[in-house]
Amino acid sequence: MSASDSPLPFRRVLIANRGEVALRILRACRELGLETVAVYSDADAHAAHVRLADAAVRIGPPAPQDSYLNIEAILAAAATTGAEAVHPGYGFLAERAAFARRVTEAGLVFVGPTPDVIEALGDKLRARRIARDAGVPVVPGTLEPAAIDRPDQLPAILDEAATIGFPLLVKANAGGGGRGMRRVARPDDLPVALLDGSREAADAFGDGRVYLEREVVPARHIEVQLLGDAAGRVIALGERDCSIQRRHQKLIEEAPAPGLVDAERRRLHDMAVAVGAAAGLRNAATAEFLRASDGAYYFLEVNTRLQVEHGITELVTGLDIVREQLYLAAGRPLSEGALAAAGHAARPGSHAIEVRISAEDPGRDFAPAPGLIRRWLMPAGPGVRVDTAAEAGERVPPEYDNLLAKLMVHGPDRASAIDRLAGALREIEIAGIQTTLPFHRFVAGHPAFQAAELSTGWVADHWDGPAAAAREGRLAQLVGGLAVAWTKTGRGDRDRKDVRDAGRGGRDDRDDGRDGSAWARAALEAAVDRWPGADE
Amino acid sequence: MTGDRESPTDDRGGGTAATQGAVIVGLAPGSGAGIGPVVVETGPVGFVTLDGRRERARLIPGEPPRARLETADGVHDILLTDLPDPGRAAAGVRRFEVVVDGWRFEVDVESEARARLRERASSARGDAARGGPVELRAIIPGRVVSVDVAEGDVVDAGGRLLVVEAMKMQNELRSPRSGTVGRVAVGPGQTVELGDLLLVVE
Repeated sequence: MSASDSPLPFRRVLIANRGEVALRILRACRELGLETVAVYSDADAHAAHVRLADAAVRIGPPAPQDSYLNIEAILAAAATTGAEAVHPGYGFLAERAAFARRVTEAGLVFVGPTPDVIEALGDKLRARRIARDAGVPVVPGTLEPAAIDRPDQLPAILDEAATIGFPLLVKANAGGGGRGMRRVARPDDLPVALLDGSREAADAFGDGRVYLEREVVPARHIEVQLLGDAAGRVIALGERDCSIQRRHQKLIEEAPAPGLVDAERRRLHDMAVAVGAAAGLRNAATAEFLRASDGAYYFLEVNTRLQVEHGITELVTGLDIVREQLYLAAGRPLSEGALAAAGHAARPGSHAIEVRISAEDPGRDFAPAPGLIRRWLMPAGPGVRVDTAAEAGERVPPEYDNLLAKLMVHGPDRASAIDRLAGALREIEIAGIQTTLPFHRFVAGHPAFQAAELSTGWVADHWDGPAAAAREGRLAQLVGGLAVAWTKTGRGDRDRKDVRDAGRGGRDDRDDGRDGSAWARAALEAAVDRWPGADE
Repeated sequence: MTGDRESPTDDRGGGTAATQGAVIVGLAPGSGAGIGPVVVETGPVGFVTLDGRRERARLIPGEPPRARLETADGVHDILLTDLPDPGRAAAGVRRFEVVVDGWRFEVDVESEARARLRERASSARGDAARGGPVELRAIIPGRVVSVDVAEGDVVDAGGRLLVVEAMKMQNELRSPRSGTVGRVAVGPGQTVELGDLLLVVE
């Protein structure tokens, strides 16, 4: 292909991110012969992305606003290391138009959409208007911010709300990750929800504008991966179903979305391309839709960056999306590989699933659970890909996103991908912190998931976290009790060799079946051997 | 739990039960809230007595920290790690990290006899101090965003006390009961570790 056709106009890429995505970008750069510059906060001084980059620059203390959100420090790092391009990854500054603009103004290449497109699509109401003008249906709701600062407008807002229908959602114009979002079941609750949502949005994004959207339930969350070049051509590489979410954040994604026929797929991709083209999209972005139970699609928003779950599209298409991003940022037209993948997008020939292993407690409503990773063993094998930067002995910092690893599986069809997922999840061993692992095991084995019964209400409908935690907590108590009971009964009786022989032969005279059999004592000896301090 | 539970080990008499048999296993503070302690005693091979009921269970150690737990409902993957601590050891308590089927808990194990003694002592104290101070500690490490109360404030059960931000999420701490704020140990902007004292409600 064209990697060597003409040299890229940049040789050194600064990666303005951390964690698994920093590694993901670093690998793509390395394959293209590009040098990499890592930036890091004090919390990440020993992180993998720092170690593996060609150069690394400290940009500040752990707090994100002092480091990974610190535009000045990142630009200074680019200047001192002679970086010529900046890849923002996802999160942090990836969708800050001001950052993209500053990078460009400094004479560097920003690997992502143009600042104007980031700004236009980051404004959710503007994105809704762009979609509507392109003939793409948007989620029923308002297209202008609610006039919450004008009490005299309240009757008008309530009228609009009644037209949209309850329950509805108050959403933040600058929204993301569910912040500023409120679900409103009754008209009486609307004024408070508007004010609360606006305040939260102002805190989180510096933009307190909110609007109303119908709550489409049941619905599936389906999104389309887009690429665009400088000539204005926009293509769809296929869609992903990301319906399994908690608090409007994704837990599991798969590509393609199961159960769609070719024609529906083509229609969905066309809608996404229409929105992208109308916005003047360059580089990579993702258009998100809701699919109602009647099969109707409604445009939600566009994320103007590399998406967390881009890897499953890579597995199905065989493309390297970060590499395509670098080519596009260099001003090249869409690659032959990307065009070919777009040509096949409506008829995908395989299936991929991603689960997010995050430092969260699925028994306590997925509350954050940072801490020290004592043990970290990831799966491997055919059709298994793990994108992670986590390591045993590392502390998961409370300052950042809690995504630790993305486990992706790939198979010829959905059933074989689920089999691979279940097998891979069994291989994982993590200790020291609670993660979403048990939730993923539950989903992989659940008949509703296997039958592709997907909806954004899946977690609420099927997952009883506290009950699962209580059941397993009792098993943990049992394990603790058995471990100690054995060490007590067997302590210092005889030498280990004897005990082990007895365990095998069952000839031990104390094997009265009461206070721990010979077998148990053999086990105990192993325990005493191997667990320092186990015999008190 | 109640102090006068009839333990199955009592019936069997002798020092054996007290020193070898029954242990009480509780979840360590901050781990698996809402799960009460259980009494565990090994039974005949493949069996265990759990709160007086006999159940099938056996623990098969593997290469540490791996083990497998076989119970009536199947086989569970276990990671078992001793978490030694001189203070706990002196008190006769051993703590383990147990990861079962991907769920992580810390359990505290002590002999039943010892636990009952301690319980009697603390319930006597509890009578005197009913309605005594409740120490609220951080259940996740993070940064204190805001403190909504000051020392001397009267709070209702469920009232918001402070907000800790961890991993981009804001977690509200609410009062477990009505009372007066006795002490506020943290301030906005402060970083807290797991188990740090946040405030006291009296």
